[in-house]
Amino acid sequence: MKLIQFASITKKIALAAFGLFLLLFLPVHLGINLCLLRDDGGEWYRNASHFMGTNYIVKVFEIVLLASVLLHICLAIYLTIENWLARPVRYKVRTKTKTPFMSRYMIWTGGIIACFLVLHFINFYFVKLDLVQGKYSASIEQVDKLFQQKAIKLQQGELNEKEQAALMAQYQAISQISPEKMDKSQKNMVNLTKEEVIQYCGEDFKHVEPDFYTMSKELFANKTYSLIYLVVFVVLGFHLYHAINSLAQTLGLSHRKYSPIIDWISVFYAVLVPLGFAIIPLWFMFVK
Amino acid sequence: MNTLSSKIPEGQLSEKWTRYKSSQKLVNPANKRKLDIIVVGTGLAGASAAASLGALGFNVKIFCISDSPRRAHSIAAQGGINAAKNYQNDGDSVDRLFFDTIKGGDYRAREANVYRLAEVSNSIIDQCVAQGVPFARDYSGMLDNRSFGGAQVSRTFYAKGQTGQQLLLGAYSALSKEIKAGTVKMYERREMMDLVVVDGRARGIITRNLQTGEIERWASHAVVIATGGYGNVYFLSTNAMNCNGSAAVQCFHKGAFFANPCFVQIHPTCIPVKGDYQSKLTLMSESLRNDGRIWVPKKIEDAQAIREGRLNPTDISEQDRDYYLERRYPAFGNLVPRDIASRAAKERCDAGYGVAPSGYGVYLDFKSAIERLGKDKVEARYGNLFQMYEKIVDVNPYENPMMIYPAVHYTMGGLWVDYELQTTIPGLFATGEANFSDHGANRLGASALMQGLADGYFILPYTIQNYLSDQIYQERISTQTEEFTQAENALRDKLETIMSIKGEKTVDTLQRELGHIMWEYVGMGRNAENLRKAIPMLRELRNEFWTNVRVTGDLTSMNPELEKAVRLADHIELSQIIAKDALQREESCGGHYREEFVTNEGEAKRDDDNYMFVAAWQYTGKDQEPIMHKEELKYEFINVQQRNYK
Amino acid sequence: MDFTLKIWRQESQKAKGRFETYKITDISPDCSFLEMLDILNESLVNKLSHPVCFDHDCREGICGMCGLYINGHPHGPDSAITTCQLHMRKFKDGETITIEPWRAKPFPIIRDLVVDRTALDKIIQEGGYVSVTTGGVPDGNSILIPKHKADKAMDSASCIGCGACVAACKNASAMLFVSAKVSQLALLPQGKPEAATRVQNMVAKMDQLGFGNCTNTYACEAECPKEIKRSNIARMNREFILAKVASEEDLQQ
Repeated sequence: MKLIQFASITKKIALAAFGLFLLLFLPVHLGINLCLLRDDGGEWYRNASHFMGTNYIVKVFEIVLLASVLLHICLAIYLTIENWLARPVRYKVRTKTKTPFMSRYMIWTGGIIACFLVLHFINFYFVKLDLVQGKYSASIEQVDKLFQQKAIKLQQGELNEKEQAALMAQYQAISQISPEKMDKSQKNMVNLTKEEVIQYCGEDFKHVEPDFYTMSKELFANKTYSLIYLVVFVVLGFHLYHAINSLAQTLGLSHRKYSPIIDWISVFYAVLVPLGFAIIPLWFMFVK
Repeated sequence: MNTLSSKIPEGQLSEKWTRYKSSQKLVNPANKRKLDIIVVGTGLAGASAAASLGALGFNVKIFCISDSPRRAHSIAAQGGINAAKNYQNDGDSVDRLFFDTIKGGDYRAREANVYRLAEVSNSIIDQCVAQGVPFARDYSGMLDNRSFGGAQVSRTFYAKGQTGQQLLLGAYSALSKEIKAGTVKMYERREMMDLVVVDGRARGIITRNLQTGEIERWASHAVVIATGGYGNVYFLSTNAMNCNGSAAVQCFHKGAFFANPCFVQIHPTCIPVKGDYQSKLTLMSESLRNDGRIWVPKKIEDAQAIREGRLNPTDISEQDRDYYLERRYPAFGNLVPRDIASRAAKERCDAGYGVAPSGYGVYLDFKSAIERLGKDKVEARYGNLFQMYEKIVDVNPYENPMMIYPAVHYTMGGLWVDYELQTTIPGLFATGEANFSDHGANRLGASALMQGLADGYFILPYTIQNYLSDQIYQERISTQTEEFTQAENALRDKLETIMSIKGEKTVDTLQRELGHIMWEYVGMGRNAENLRKAIPMLRELRNEFWTNVRVTGDLTSMNPELEKAVRLADHIELSQIIAKDALQREESCGGHYREEFVTNEGEAKRDDDNYMFVAAWQYTGKDQEPIMHKEELKYEFINVQQRNYK
Repeated sequence: MDFTLKIWRQESQKAKGRFETYKITDISPDCSFLEMLDILNESLVNKLSHPVCFDHDCREGICGMCGLYINGHPHGPDSAITTCQLHMRKFKDGETITIEPWRAKPFPIIRDLVVDRTALDKIIQEGGYVSVTTGGVPDGNSILIPKHKADKAMDSASCIGCGACVAACKNASAMLFVSAKVSQLALLPQGKPEAATRVQNMVAKMDQLGFGNCTNTYACEAECPKEIKRSNIARMNREFILAKVASEEDLQQ
């Protein structure tokens, strides 16, 4: 493999750099998630999701981020295999050397997080990619706009019979829409299945977005699922606990004065970020 | 009778080395490539010589008994290395270093050699600094110095308590560079088993591969022996387990003279013996004597109470302590040379004032140093030594005084060499502790490192060329000659004999017996009666070895028992000349202390009229008396005086 | 004190190894670990069997020759010492002690507990030196070195090359060993001219010899008998990045 020609330190630095990108992304993700807690029927959360889903700069970063996740994982697996090969015969007595908490198990905590990511992607990200069906939302304004255009066409007699029937069905459906399918601001239709989207918005409606807010709420209503989340966040904490000072070490940032600060940041980060994430399922479990 | 020619150049003392260098013969670069040199030993003397010779362009093969040159016992030297830099502006000079070394050696060293040593000492420091040796620096960034036994100036350069390690790693790095460049080839885990002499010249060696048991032949134009000293003849010493005098004995048996074997240095500050199981003694650096004070109780009953564990040293009040070195030698106090400090400790212990459970131990106390400097400063200076002491003895030296006792440490004697470091076999050179040349009857602290590196970096690379200049006509030497075959067959016979004895006693048992005889009869205090007893005992031990040793394992794989057995056989041979040399030298000088020859005050009494010579022993065959040759020592530039440290 | 010893025995590199159990009695607590093995070996020789081979030399903790993996610790349970400085008083009477050789791909077993550590020398040969030859160097004091730098360099230079860092590391990585040398020479002005090539060459050799990668678990630091710090590894990483990014010098082949 070509990778072999890179020096061990180069590979390590690459691993760290990909990790760094993920570290930077996590607080962003957390910030958006915390919008869930706002009692606004998901307005902020939906707005944030909308921004993340539609902004072009974010889309570029999304690709970089996905690549980082994949490379971080692949490189970690590759390095681990190399490391195992460096000691073909293992010790009989397990090591009793004291090492920083969880630092030896990065590949295992990382593995658990990777498994969780698959689940997480199926639940959310794949919905966006339209690989999995979820719940959707649509802006009434947009739906209305399309409806108006079609109405004009109808008046000018440009619609055939079939299209006329569809438009009528859509009109009837919308007029009988239940209140749960509307968000608090009455600006969006939410909690829609794929069929309902067609029903309410018409087959050629393009501006449908996944309704992450409803999906989250439903997921967290499931106790088992929330529990899995909580466990994974503890594991994430373990993984992160070693991440930042390890990153500093790998990038050669070691200094008598600053290293203790990095260590503190490391601890704060590893505690606060997973804690922030964990608040959400807890909130849904106990408060809501 | 062979007359020994030391080949000292003519002229003023300070001009001899310069004159030698400007008139010696050299080898041109094209010819250097055609010349092979074997270096045996990778300590300071061996590694530095091989690196320097390799850099000059010779083809060098170097043989290491361990897996890496960094294991050589030079690494254990703690205190420092002397040089006459006079950075401290305290009146040091080449002349003074020369004078101190001669005086420290009790006027039994060769004047011209010692002067040359003092002369090149400064270059050693420069060389090591350039290699990246992290010598201690002061706050200005300049090199720092400390003082050491036997000197009134601060001329010792140091790197924490690990100077030997750092200097060895410096030499090792120079060697590594040459290995990478291909000028030096390294053969690790090889032990020299014999020297091959062809037409009267050293032409190669036979080695045993310690991993596979293979016997190998190596040929060269010249052979350099840098295998260190023979302190392990005494079994318990501060030497490493692999240190041995075997290579020197092989050369001795092939015709090289062995000089002053009885000059063995006993180091005053070692951790006392604890039990029979003990395999070696640990040295506590002499630098501890800078701030530590040595004492025993004044009252014999206090000493007894301490031995029996009824009394703690801290319970003894200041007026009940006998700081015997300060009492006897007010001028130098605790910093008297090693031989004097050792004997004074023995004298106190023999008189019943010893404090170790065995009766053989004195205190080295840092109480007043801690009061004067503070614990932090003491820790900064000696922290690693204190830690080492605590790990071994399980006593905290900050709170309780350390217990120390003298132990065999260094051998001033060794292969006889002339001014060019060449032995009596042409083409065979000896450097470092393996030769005898510079320390006379006693070596001063921080001088061994200096000598090893001086020989390897700055002396041998010159003098060996003088020999090799006419060897350029000599084709590469073949290992397929009669001499090599003979040497190899003799070795095979010897090894098979040892394996076939299958006796009752293990090598360690016999080695302990040898050590016991040597320490008791040929140890710190010697007398004719004991020495006369020791010689037949040693002969008896030799018989016992060759009829009753038990070596298990086989010849064709790693077999440490066999390795030890071969070395022991050589050590027994050597022990006999040590005893004979000690018996013939009817005077007390330096490390050689004859109880019959003392002044009225109990100090060593030298006999310059009759014994101002180097005793060089020639091997004459198995079971035959060796012949002693004398090289008279002429002191032209120095006033010989009684050593006085009072 | 009495002990049960489980010792790895292996006749040669290719032979199949196994653990052998030995009982040993009446050991003084002041006895060092290696002296305890000496006593065992003497009894084995008396029983006409082959003694246990183990590497050892200076027995005062400086040569780096000894190295046994004792009960899950390189150099045994005590801290900041080599095997030869370990004393039996650190064990409980009647304890079972398992003794294994250093395990790492670049350290093949020669016999029993003896491993071949020449891989470490090979790394040094790739640049663990200042390329000066004998003679023609400036006065020692013409190169000024700030005290704290000299002290730091000394701390890095105190590595004894025993390989405990490799033995302790779950990845059998030699980073602490290599970084100690790289650091020493990076801290000193003498080492600066070759700094960029040195770090690249030594790391390349380390990789080539089959040592594992560093995963910052710092087991090396925890077990190093000379307490070499992990900041050396950080410094080497820094030197490596600088060499790759800021210097024009490449690997020397």
